[in-house]
Parts: sequence; structure tokens; C-alpha cells
Amino acid sequence: MKNFQLRSRIQDQVAVIYPRGHLDAHHVERFEKEIQRMMENRVLRIIINCENLDYISSAGMGIIMGYLDEIREKSGDIKLCCVNNQVYDIFELVGFTDIYDFLRDEPAAMKAFA
Amino acid sequence: MFKGEADLIITIPSSTELLKMVVELTRHVVEILEFPGKEIQKIALAVDEAITNVIKHSYRYERDRDIRIEFFTAPGGLKIRIVYAGIAPDLDPATVSVERLIKQKRKGGLGVQLMRKIMDSVEYSSRNGLNTCEMIKWKKREAVS
Repeated sequence: MKNFQLRSRIQDQVAVIYPRGHLDAHHVERFEKEIQRMMENRVLRIIINCENLDYISSAGMGIIMGYLDEIREKSGDIKLCCVNNQVYDIFELVGFTDIYDFLRDEPAAMKAFA
Repeated sequence: MFKGEADLIITIPSSTELLKMVVELTRHVVEILEFPGKEIQKIALAVDEAITNVIKHSYRYERDRDIRIEFFTAPGGLKIRIVYAGIAPDLDPATVSVERLIKQKRKGGLGVQLMRKIMDSVEYSSRNGLNTCEMIKWKKREAVS
């Protein structure tokens, strides 16, 4: 299996991005392009479903961080769901848990955008 | 205290492809030293961040430069020294808030902060064209056997 995989879908004008595996500086470009693609398509309500994300470094967190202001300026948002404890600890360490909504599961994240 | 000689030395080329390998190696070392489970991923992440900074800022993504990683062990502690050439690090000692980085639409700026939050000490130095990043982590007193 590849170290990092990515898929996404759009439902009711909400993009759900599913990163899988190990997200570090080597794989971050793909992740960034997916966020950019959603923004270019004017899909500004984005859920990052971290159910299968085992690891994230600051390179990946930087992408989540770098587009947030622009997305919120355009009335969109980025929400995260299904984050495992180890990855949550890292998000908490940099203060993301005070800034982003972390939802238990994807339906809860979709509902938060309703 | 730590011995003068490293217990493990590995030299890798400056490629982000090898970051996962370094993370896995660090995890193994930390596991052998019986650090608490919650610390394993974090210490490995601190090493990832240090190496990523070297590749990005000191070697500007040149892929054929050397990065030497040295692991020193001591009862209840681990020291990791990363030795590299290239551009000397120019670090802002101040902690920048995530809110500010978001307002500035920055995609970077978290790596060194993470290293400092995870490790007990992080020190950079440069001498004779070689740069060194030295990080130390001690087990919490109650966790020392």
C-alpha cells in the first residue's frame, strides 16, 4: 500500500476529503492541490475526514491553516472529523482544536454545515 | 548524562521520500527506551520536523546533500543530534500564534514550535560550515523505571 492516498467527494455543496496514511512534507503537494481544486470549484465548505489518517506533520497542518482565512472570508469553513487520538494530540499541541471544529463523525460534520 | 559517542548514527540524503523511514526508525528507538506510548509519535514527529526544515530551508530541496542523524541514549533520556551543511538556520525565537499565521495565510511556521513543545530542549548551532540541531527528551520522573 502507498504511504499516502487521497480521495474526495462533494455532497450538497460540501467537499469531503479523505486523506489516508502518512501525511508529511513528501505528500503534502497532493493534499494542497485537492484543497485548491475545491476552492477553484467554489466549494468552500470542506470536511477533512481523518478516519484513516495515521500521521500528520506540520506540512499537512500548514495546508489546513494556509487556506482557512480565505475560505472563511468567503463564508466557507474547514471542519475535521473522525480524528484518532494520536493525531488529535498533535492538532491540540499546535492549538488547532481552539480554531477548528472537530466533529465525532462525518454526519455530525455535515450537519454542522447545514 | 549522555555518552560522548552516539549509540546509533544514520546518514541519509536530503530527500523528503525518506522522512517516513526516519520517523519509523525514531519510533523504534523511542520504543526500545520505553518512553510512554503517547510520546512515541510526538518524538518521531519532532525529528520529522527538524529534517523537513533542513531539506526545505538549508538545502532548498537539493536531493543529494547529506543529513547525519545521531541518537544518544541515557537512563531516562534521549538526545537526537542532526548535523548538516547548507544555509544556517535563521530561527525566530518568539512563538507565533496559530491565529496570526492563519491571518497571514501562512502555510509554514509550525515546525519549530512543534519541536519546542514536544522536546525538553531544542538547540541550533552553526560552526565551520556545519549546522547542528540538538534535541533532548527526558522521560517524566514517574515513568522512569
